[in-house]
Amino acid sequence: MDSSFLEIRQVAKVFSPGQDVELKALSHIDLNIDRGEFAVLSGPSGSGKTTLLNIIGGLDGASSGEVVLDGITVTGLDERQLSGLRRDHIGFVFQAYNLIPVLTARENIEYVMRLQGHGQEECNWRIEEVAGKLDISHLLDKLPNHLSGGQQQRVAVARAVASKPKLILADEPTANLDSKSAANLMDMMQQLNEDEGITIVFSSHDPLVISKAKHSIVLRDGEVVANEHVR
Amino acid sequence: MFRVLLRIALASLGRRLSRSMLVVLMIAMSLWGLLFMEGIYDGMTEQFIDNAIRSDSGDISIFAKGYRLDPGLEKAIERFDEIEHVLTADNRIRSHVRRLRQDGLIATAHYSRNAAIYGVELEAEERHGRLASYLREGVYDFGKKGRGVILGSRLAAKMKVGLGKKIILSAQNRDNDVSALSLRVTGILKTNNMALDENAVFIGIDKARELLLLPAGASQISIMVHDKEEVPAVQKQLAAQFANLDVMAWNSLYPALHQGREMMEVFNLITSLLVFCVAGLGIFGVMLVSVLERLREFGIMLAIGTTFQEIRTIVFVESFILGLSGYCCGSLLGGLTLFYFYQYGLDLTMFSAGLDAFGMDAITYALIRPSYFLTALAAVTGATLISVLVPLRILQKARPIEAINKI
Repeated sequence: MDSSFLEIRQVAKVFSPGQDVELKALSHIDLNIDRGEFAVLSGPSGSGKTTLLNIIGGLDGASSGEVVLDGITVTGLDERQLSGLRRDHIGFVFQAYNLIPVLTARENIEYVMRLQGHGQEECNWRIEEVAGKLDISHLLDKLPNHLSGGQQQRVAVARAVASKPKLILADEPTANLDSKSAANLMDMMQQLNEDEGITIVFSSHDPLVISKAKHSIVLRDGEVVANEHVR
Repeated sequence: MFRVLLRIALASLGRRLSRSMLVVLMIAMSLWGLLFMEGIYDGMTEQFIDNAIRSDSGDISIFAKGYRLDPGLEKAIERFDEIEHVLTADNRIRSHVRRLRQDGLIATAHYSRNAAIYGVELEAEERHGRLASYLREGVYDFGKKGRGVILGSRLAAKMKVGLGKKIILSAQNRDNDVSALSLRVTGILKTNNMALDENAVFIGIDKARELLLLPAGASQISIMVHDKEEVPAVQKQLAAQFANLDVMAWNSLYPALHQGREMMEVFNLITSLLVFCVAGLGIFGVMLVSVLERLREFGIMLAIGTTFQEIRTIVFVESFILGLSGYCCGSLLGGLTLFYFYQYGLDLTMFSAGLDAFGMDAITYALIRPSYFLTALAAVTGATLISVLVPLRILQKARPIEAINKI
């Protein structure tokens, strides 16, 4: 059997284990996502989408089970190794943009590349390339608080893409955007997925967003209730 | 990468500019106070010591064996020429003077008091310890016939004598008889060496020999060296060379002043500790609030691949910028203040009556020592390092996802 790019094996997450108000967020999830996929995790609020994305990205630990990303067992790494994994292999796009407020858009995009050790010239070239694709070249010298929500999210996508990760995890990236901006952003992300070959997994409960996905996974009460390749 | 981390640290400090400025100001002011106190107090102590050395002990003094415990004319230093030859040949020694001392009585028509009679050579004393600079009234001269006398200021006040007044000086001579001289006051000295100001009566050494019937010899030879660091070595060598004499450094002759200097070192250390605490608490407060306010920001940075070590660098850089800015401002301010008081002195004339009682100069000249700045730098650096330990501990415990979810 061929191994997938991202394998999620029997992953469970229980908050406050052993206490009176124990909460099962995920129950024995099994999923495989192939390289280059544009996958969406959908489901109602509290279904476990964000928890699963956090575990895949090493931002949170699983109570049991394992996540294997391109042969690396994410759930077995220590904090330092997880930092390295996030820096070199994963790009994050958060619902609340989460740009570093004291850095300009350019510096935010450059930040992860600098962490990876890239030189200034290489950073500049890559920033221009990504900013061109996301139509934010004119915003590069602005601080996040001078940008609209849609602009900030595009900068956040640029930051996630610029470091050339193997995987982008986007947690409800369009939740704070109007429908036009949301559609624009999804088109741009789809284009990046095709151009750069980056695997993108995002969570959403917006039907417009879900309709763009090639692989749709539906969660409910911490369990996978549907898992299908759309196109 | 450090450039980006530095940029984040600077921008974060700039974002909380008034708070950052307050901490810098707090460190600067406490440092300024520290430097001022160290410089002035050390200046006072060194002035005490300098007065004692210049007016009396020199850096080293030679006495006849046992003279210090039981002074008397029979314990005068003999073979002065031989000693002088050795002192003149030693190029570490800047100058030396001989003095003839005997306890006696000073009297006017109305008052009389115990006095310490010093037979001195005024020109040699001037070259040796600039004795003339202590002259407050009159002239630095015993007159053509040597019948003048220079009195300590407190003694003159207690005897109620002024310039030109006649006094009778009497003392036991070498034949154990009482001799007396009638002299006129030509000058009044204020050395701030209380022992001298209270008791000293300076007359010409020839006049003293005439009074005491002692044609040769001296009670004390006072020596100044070029380099104060050489005092122990010169003292040790002279003590070995003149085993039949007592060769004593100034700190043995004035142990209280020596202890005062050591106490001042402890005082300076305590003051440095206070600066350490002020700087430490100031930076701790700012950094703790800064870290707690920015937990989410740090969480984002951790989430996108920043290591804890890189975040720690940011926190340290911020702390060092605060500490070093405070240090630079405080050092500059303190250094300039000390330089002013080093040049012009701190005029405490309005407290002169009180200061007089302690034998202190009304004008105190500050000292400037590199050690003040180095100790302060160590204190501020230590404070910047220690003050961020708790904020860093909080950061280390925070998981990225928990930190991001902090609003």
